[in-house]
Amino acid sequence: MGIDKVEPSDAELVRRVRAGDIGAYGALVSRYRDRLGRYAVHMIGDHEDAEEALQDSFVRAYRSLARCYDPARFGAWLYGILVNRCRTTGARAARRRRMFVRDADALNGAAHADQADRLEWTDSVDRALARLAPEYREAFLLKHVEDLEYEQIAELTGAGISALKMRVKRAREQLQKYLREAEHV
Amino acid sequence: MFEPEDDFVERVIQQLRRPVTIDPGLDARVMREIAAVPPAQRRVWPWWSLLAAAAVLSALLITRPWTRDAGQSGPDAFQFILVAPQAASVSLVGDFNDWDPKRAPMQTAQGIWATVVNLAPGRYRYAFLVNGVEWRADPGAPAAKDDEFGTPSSVVTVGGRGS
Repeated sequence: MGIDKVEPSDAELVRRVRAGDIGAYGALVSRYRDRLGRYAVHMIGDHEDAEEALQDSFVRAYRSLARCYDPARFGAWLYGILVNRCRTTGARAARRRRMFVRDADALNGAAHADQADRLEWTDSVDRALARLAPEYREAFLLKHVEDLEYEQIAELTGAGISALKMRVKRAREQLQKYLREAEHV
Repeated sequence: MFEPEDDFVERVIQQLRRPVTIDPGLDARVMREIAAVPPAQRRVWPWWSLLAAAAVLSALLITRPWTRDAGQSGPDAFQFILVAPQAASVSLVGDFNDWDPKRAPMQTAQGIWATVVNLAPGRYRYAFLVNGVEWRADPGAPAAKDDEFGTPSSVVTVGGRGS
């Protein structure tokens, strides 16, 4: 028993924004910030660049809200904007990519051995992900981390489904290879 | 011994699915930025504004039939045309009208749809919205390669005076 808070749907919030209620857009930003932020951080690799891409995507989406013809699918539409924005940022960031080298002191200062192991594992995964070709990384993240269907990914990226399946397969193989290499360094 | 590939990759996926901390100030930054921008609304225009717009358009067609008027400042009038004999309605939508189909409905004569809009120098993306649902790029203009909104669109670049 109790009172459940019923969140307004995306379609309802988009309708309110179009009617002039800017605050409703704040609810959409809160709703999608963390999930899209995770994708941007993993895709771009640099936290600061990722937040910039995320912020820019929200602003672009607001400015183009009239082009969101199916407000119930606002989230998918927003994803498309972010995926595109990450591609642009990724191309720039690749030239000045900072690798995820954890401070040795942080590792030494970890309270427990398993904590240090976890930090090391996190860094290894980040490094391996950064080594993937952007189109492999993009397909892998959308499929396995964001849990989208291939049809949805095809819609977002413009790539064919068989090409996407191949990219995901290659990404899995390469991630394993890079992480095995890291284990033996 | 190596663990099987599926288990190994699954461990990577679980790691990547963990929440990532995003600066909570991002929401406020977004809201500040958009507060300065009028939302792309589907506006309902009062009847008198339609009459006024028709009067302005008539004057425009008579005095400046889609040609650039050198020596004057301000935007120039440009005509957009789409041949779509089967269409019941066509609107011109683009960066210049917030992609709002109500702001530039096109008029037809024997399947040739046309409208005139004023554009200041700059680069604009645009498309035709046919029957309210079908997006079409302009077959006579370069396609927009950088359009992330998932629908086809075209690009027009309006040069400055003397360009």
